[in-house]
Amino acid sequence: MKTALYVLGAGLVLLIIMLITVPGGGRPSDMSLFFGRFHPIVVHLPIGILLVAALLEGLSRVRRLDQRYDLSVQVLLYVGAWSGILAVIAGLYLAQGGGYEAGTLAWHKRLGILVTLATMVCYVAKARPDLVRRAVRLQDHKIYVGAIAVMILGVALTGHLGGQLTHGSGYLSRYLPDGLRQLAGLPAKDDLGKLQLTDPAQTSAYEALIAPVLESRCIACHGDRRARGGLRLDTPEHIMEGGDDGPPVVPGRPLESELISRVWLPLHADGHMPPEGSPQLSVAEAELVRWWIEAGASFDQLLPDAETTPLVESILDGLGLDEIKTGIFALNTAPPDSQAMDALAQLGVSVTPLAQDEPYLQVRCTDLQACSDDTDLPGGLRRLASNIAWLDLGRSEANDGLLETVGSLPHLTRLHLQQTGVTDAGLEHLLNLEYLEYLNLYGTAVSDSGIAQLSELTALKSLYLWQTDVTPSGVEALQSALPDLYINTGLSLQPVEPDTTAE
Amino acid sequence: MKLLQEAQQVHLHHQTRRHFLKSCGTGLGAIAFASMGVGAAASKPSSDPLAPRTPHFTPTAKRVIFLHMAGGPSPLELFDYKPDLAKLDGELCPDSLLEGKRFAFIRGVPKMLGPQATFGQHGESGAWVSNHMPHLTRVVDRIAFMKAMKTDEFNHAPAQLLVHSGSPRLGRPSMGSWVTYGLGTENENLPAFVVLLSGGAAPDAGASVYGSGFLPTVYQGVQCRSKGDPVLFLSDPDHIPRNIRRQTIDAINAINRQNHEEVGDPEILTRIAQYEMAFRMQTAVPEAMDIMREPDYVHKMYATKPGETAFSNNCLLARRLVERGVRFVQLFHWGWDSHGAGESEALNGGFLERCRETDQPVAALLEDLDMRGMLDETLVIWGGEFGRTPMLENRSGSDNPFVGRDHHSDVFTMWMAGGGVKGGITYGETDEIGYTAVQGQVHIHDLQATILHLLGFDHLRLTYPFQGRDFRLTDVHGHVVRDVLA
Repeated sequence: MKTALYVLGAGLVLLIIMLITVPGGGRPSDMSLFFGRFHPIVVHLPIGILLVAALLEGLSRVRRLDQRYDLSVQVLLYVGAWSGILAVIAGLYLAQGGGYEAGTLAWHKRLGILVTLATMVCYVAKARPDLVRRAVRLQDHKIYVGAIAVMILGVALTGHLGGQLTHGSGYLSRYLPDGLRQLAGLPAKDDLGKLQLTDPAQTSAYEALIAPVLESRCIACHGDRRARGGLRLDTPEHIMEGGDDGPPVVPGRPLESELISRVWLPLHADGHMPPEGSPQLSVAEAELVRWWIEAGASFDQLLPDAETTPLVESILDGLGLDEIKTGIFALNTAPPDSQAMDALAQLGVSVTPLAQDEPYLQVRCTDLQACSDDTDLPGGLRRLASNIAWLDLGRSEANDGLLETVGSLPHLTRLHLQQTGVTDAGLEHLLNLEYLEYLNLYGTAVSDSGIAQLSELTALKSLYLWQTDVTPSGVEALQSALPDLYINTGLSLQPVEPDTTAE
Repeated sequence: MKLLQEAQQVHLHHQTRRHFLKSCGTGLGAIAFASMGVGAAASKPSSDPLAPRTPHFTPTAKRVIFLHMAGGPSPLELFDYKPDLAKLDGELCPDSLLEGKRFAFIRGVPKMLGPQATFGQHGESGAWVSNHMPHLTRVVDRIAFMKAMKTDEFNHAPAQLLVHSGSPRLGRPSMGSWVTYGLGTENENLPAFVVLLSGGAAPDAGASVYGSGFLPTVYQGVQCRSKGDPVLFLSDPDHIPRNIRRQTIDAINAINRQNHEEVGDPEILTRIAQYEMAFRMQTAVPEAMDIMREPDYVHKMYATKPGETAFSNNCLLARRLVERGVRFVQLFHWGWDSHGAGESEALNGGFLERCRETDQPVAALLEDLDMRGMLDETLVIWGGEFGRTPMLENRSGSDNPFVGRDHHSDVFTMWMAGGGVKGGITYGETDEIGYTAVQGQVHIHDLQATILHLLGFDHLRLTYPFQGRDFRLTDVHGHVVRDVLA
């Protein structure tokens, strides 16, 4: 019994010596890395052993079987303490190799040592309660229970941090169901890994595609907190400036650019980046970086201007860049109230979502008599005001009165009013529709003075005016105010030269 | 998971009809009762296969008019201007162009054939259009020409199947069926997918080019005739007034309902719905298909031929149908197979007839849709199933009596307009003689992916499970041609 205590004491001394001697910069020797790699193997011993020890201890207390498990718990704590010592030492060597997130690593180390020390205390308190009683003026079982609690809590936390170091943070919660994610305050699963660009036309290829890769794969070691090898990759200036080995990017020459050539080295090769054990670039990410360097490594070329290869094109497809949102789709609009949708549908209109995962609706008159001012329609529309994007009142009983309601639907982009009773007076209600792109007024009584007001609708792209009282001069005036607007005034039967080669 | 399914299957194999009747006596009644309750509560049961549905992303086209120029119109006489080919006219085709190639009719060494048309540039976009399509020149700025289309087939039937179903073999659903399956219908009084034929011959691949394949038959294209009864067997028999018809259907449906209460088969509900739809169609279809309700100037625009089966009538019908919420209108116009073996199928014969028959109606259709504000949300597609060779056809090695070209699958022209397509552009380019693609090749699968994209579908996600796997229109192919999107 005494020998066992002495041997454990020796282990404690060894641990302290290692803590003092191992840390330090410089290149670790192969031998220390060799030992270090045993950390993931050894580390699972204390985890399992200490959990079993705590389990038996708990059982014996609940079931009043103390005597029967005492020796087992004692042995487990002893072995657990030793495996803890070995795991800490191996871990110190492994950490020398670098490539781990510094903050997490520091806490992982502290907690690992704490667990080992707590295990030792547990063992002493279990094996020699008399020693403890002499040393502190506390009841021995309080010390013991406290140490067990610290030990188990410590094992859980240390293990979690260790997992984060190896697999990256968010590893556990990656596939958490969306409902629980919401409770935990995490973003919905669908948003993960998707590029969030608001306006593709205004985003550079570097900003959109390359910076996120560097951010997730490189910045931890080559950023403002640490700049290994003197290299920082967090700003364009730092990238071009380079580190101890010179600039990592040679525009137009990916083979000579270490930013990508090191990524291509075999995983085990010297100088492979990111270091083995850290999250690696995916094939698609590496291809994007290569393509960007080959295309001249420009930091401000806009995404639409960049020339793509078929491979890059298919990568961009996968990133969902075509779903980049503009206009109303960039807004954060709440989903429609399904009761309000049902109520509106009861009024003789068809109400369907514009697309999956969009909060917007298309509303179309199916019962033409129902679509007028003196039904419940205005109220029904107002209940879904922020959700209605397309509204088709064509050929219905809609009139100027109804347009007052229509004008209060802030996110309307397409509006069909053809062959209805609307007039110039009604159009003034529409002037606040800042997103309106399509307005169909064919077969209505609108005239020059009415459409003159429409120059305020700067988003308008297409306007249909066949069979109205609008004159060419009215069209001309509006066209000069909105030069990009497509205005269709309808039938123009021009004589055509017949095909002379026919006969 | 597989073990579990297998265990279930083995279990089911051992179930006999006696087991079923013994254990399910009360269960069946409950099922029947439940489905009755659903039918009564919702005015339109959610199981309605044609209910309007939500696409994957916001569509730019709500509906499609596909003008299929059956037979394979020659791009070299219409849109693909090749002055260099004129210089080679009459020369023997070099071996390098023939090596490893197989043609439908050309044998031995054919002669080159220069363009049988004069060309000019039109519109602000400067699109090349030949003298055979004078009306179309008015609308070229609304059109995206794809000049390097590619297909895998050089015979009519498989090539037409490929265009419409994504496979050269029978059995796959057609594009219109996929679209109806994906989007449902906006008008419950009319079929969602209507087919109109002209040109005196049905498509070579038969009704399969508008069939529903392995999709439920409710998505099948319905052929409407522009002469006589629009839909066969739809009108009431002589001396049967509409109220008697109503009573007949009521009686049949009552029996069907009774039957459904007894056995609970959901297909019976479908049958009842079909009877009801046919009754509604009896008034809606004749109204929609009656072009005489259109004013004179519209007839003049399209150059219609009332009382005949004509492509121009079908173009006008297509507009009337999409106006009423029909999702997919498929036109076939036969007669573009310009081999030169006979006058009706020669570049200096039938081909010119086809141009005259179609040029004005097609231009009118685009203009008519546009002035009603509908072109913006209606996708119009024009094209055949393949192109034609820059060589003069020498059928089986000897000269044809008329001028013609053989089938050619490597390159041909199709165009799209409206519905989110960028107007006034030309995508893709062929070599100096229009024989191979130089850049911007668009395979039929790519065209299909693009059409679905415009309708709001990710072609990878519009699938239907059949024979153990999820099928799609583009199967394992297809890339969206982003350059033609507005």
